[in-house]
Amino acid sequence: MATIEQPVATATGDAAVVGGQPTSEWTRRWKRFLRNRLAVVSLAFIIVVAVVALASPLIAPYGYATIHRGQELLPSFTEGFLMGTDPLGRDVFSRLVYSIRTALFIAIAAELISLAVAFVVGLVAGYKGGKYDQILMAGTDVMYAFPGYLFAVLLVAVMGRSTWAIILALSIASWVGQSRLLRAQIMRLKTMEYVEAGRSMGAGGWTLVMRYMVPNALGPVLVTVSFGIPANMLAESGLAILGLGVAPPTPSLGAMIIDGYAYVLNHPHLIAWPTIIFIAIMIAFTFVGDGVRDAFDVDET
Amino acid sequence: MKIVMFVGRRLIRLVLCLFAVSLLTFGLLQLAPGDFAGIQEAGGGNVSLAQQATSETRSELSDRYGAEVPIWQQYTTFMAGALTGDMGPSYRYPHRTVEGIIASAFPISAALAVTATLVAVGVALPIGILAAVRRRTILDSGTMFVATVGNGLPNYLAGLVLVLIFGVALGLLPLYGWKGPEHMVLPTLALAIAPIGVLARYVRSSMLENLRQEYVVTARAKGGRESAVLVGHVLRNSLMPLVTVVGPMFASLATGTIFVEQIFGIPGLGHYFTQAAVSRDMPLLMGTTLFFAALLMVMNLLVDLSYAAVDPRVRTDLGLAAEGPRRKDDVGDGIAHEEDGGHVRSEGAATRGAV
Repeated sequence: MATIEQPVATATGDAAVVGGQPTSEWTRRWKRFLRNRLAVVSLAFIIVVAVVALASPLIAPYGYATIHRGQELLPSFTEGFLMGTDPLGRDVFSRLVYSIRTALFIAIAAELISLAVAFVVGLVAGYKGGKYDQILMAGTDVMYAFPGYLFAVLLVAVMGRSTWAIILALSIASWVGQSRLLRAQIMRLKTMEYVEAGRSMGAGGWTLVMRYMVPNALGPVLVTVSFGIPANMLAESGLAILGLGVAPPTPSLGAMIIDGYAYVLNHPHLIAWPTIIFIAIMIAFTFVGDGVRDAFDVDET
Repeated sequence: MKIVMFVGRRLIRLVLCLFAVSLLTFGLLQLAPGDFAGIQEAGGGNVSLAQQATSETRSELSDRYGAEVPIWQQYTTFMAGALTGDMGPSYRYPHRTVEGIIASAFPISAALAVTATLVAVGVALPIGILAAVRRRTILDSGTMFVATVGNGLPNYLAGLVLVLIFGVALGLLPLYGWKGPEHMVLPTLALAIAPIGVLARYVRSSMLENLRQEYVVTARAKGGRESAVLVGHVLRNSLMPLVTVVGPMFASLATGTIFVEQIFGIPGLGHYFTQAAVSRDMPLLMGTTLFFAALLMVMNLLVDLSYAAVDPRVRTDLGLAAEGPRRKDDVGDGIAHEEDGGHVRSEGAATRGAV
């Protein structure tokens, strides 16, 4: 992650200092991204959500498991309970804030792990080719026959409902696509003339891959990350809806939704708030992802 | 002849993949085994179901998967049963056989997926055509904005919005259960929303691409009415590649109803897969998993064959599939992999399958 975000960060710095003179490819990409207003607003929204999630103990008025006896199922906008309370008398707003923290943490951690695996598999398969490639790709073939979320369900059922089990399940379910992507990128770059030039100047395998090819393969990877994180959030809450999310009382969007569903006719606020906030986050990620993809000019396929 | 070879090769690979999936699933379950007795104890509120087991099914289960039966034998017993259509009773539903559960539950999921696909195509086609024809108008940008938003809406969240609007606020439709046609409306719409977004954008860009072609100029120059040009030439050519999107979409819908089934309480295959996973019901979990995997791979094969049927260019391409790249991310094999897990991916997106 660090290697990916660093260039973006310096690019912003450059733009501010130099006053908009495009100096590097990353500066140009960042400027192209900034021109997409919808994506910028969405990114700002996501940053706000992430800050709120990080600071949830400061922002949530109560703990996520704090029970207010005698104040069960209060409607929204009751004094002290912006989004009302649930059947146990817990504050819906506080639980929502903590849920987003859970979802973001799991989504980002799973993305990082699957990215790390994908880097190893993709680089080896793409660069070494031959036997390595065949073995690794046979593995990914099997994974393709097995939809990721079904596999995640299976893994959590086996490993139990701990946070790390879920992170592991999500990353195992999602490394396949990224490995294939990286492999295809490396295979494409391998035949490029500048790589050939590097090789003729004496760059060895490791240098060739890390210095010459990986930087140019990062664009499409960053695009998959911006679509992968929301997909993981979705998967996390999906598992919770199936009863395989993080174990209670740790709050999760999916658990709030499926628990609230039993009361939906008379107390729709129990699912309305988590659903609305979650959808807003998902849509924001979609626009950011579209913006990143356009900035990198990566094909939709 | 080439096509026979192609199908043959793919079928062999399909069988090998299914075998690998079965080993993977069975192996994972050995890490955290559940057995019939354990499920009875842990069943909680569902104990009554387990108690319905007759002594006959009990002895059948312990014959097949009892503690004294070696693990490899349990596996071969199940696999032999899967091949002959006799997978035996489920742990969780001991009064039913695994094949019986699949036979009764799959049509429900399939009905949902088929109607959702039909709704998606029926809605997305006119939207996409309209947006392409009225390009750069408010109609175009407006519908495409809505399509993008819909595309980002995974099926269970879309379902919840529909529930809040049509079930709670308007009180028009039932929220839970599976009894009559009215119970189908909300789940179907929930499944169709994201595909509508994907398809509408696809139809639009496909139409636009064809509108730029020279044969359109020719058709117009020959004096064809604009509507005739649009329908007879542009639309026809734009629809051909649609099969490449609708096929995988249907495949992912057929396996992707799992969350919607859970929320709306629909007794489809996804529901039984979930129940089997939660209770570690080995026979049922193996059965449903293999069924899903086989379904997905057969669908992918059919999609590839239908490409060849509609587009002669692909035929040569598939003939070369073993050697040549066809897709950027998929060098060296002919499989049309489901992308975007999540909704279409995801919903697959719900959970992401791939990129």
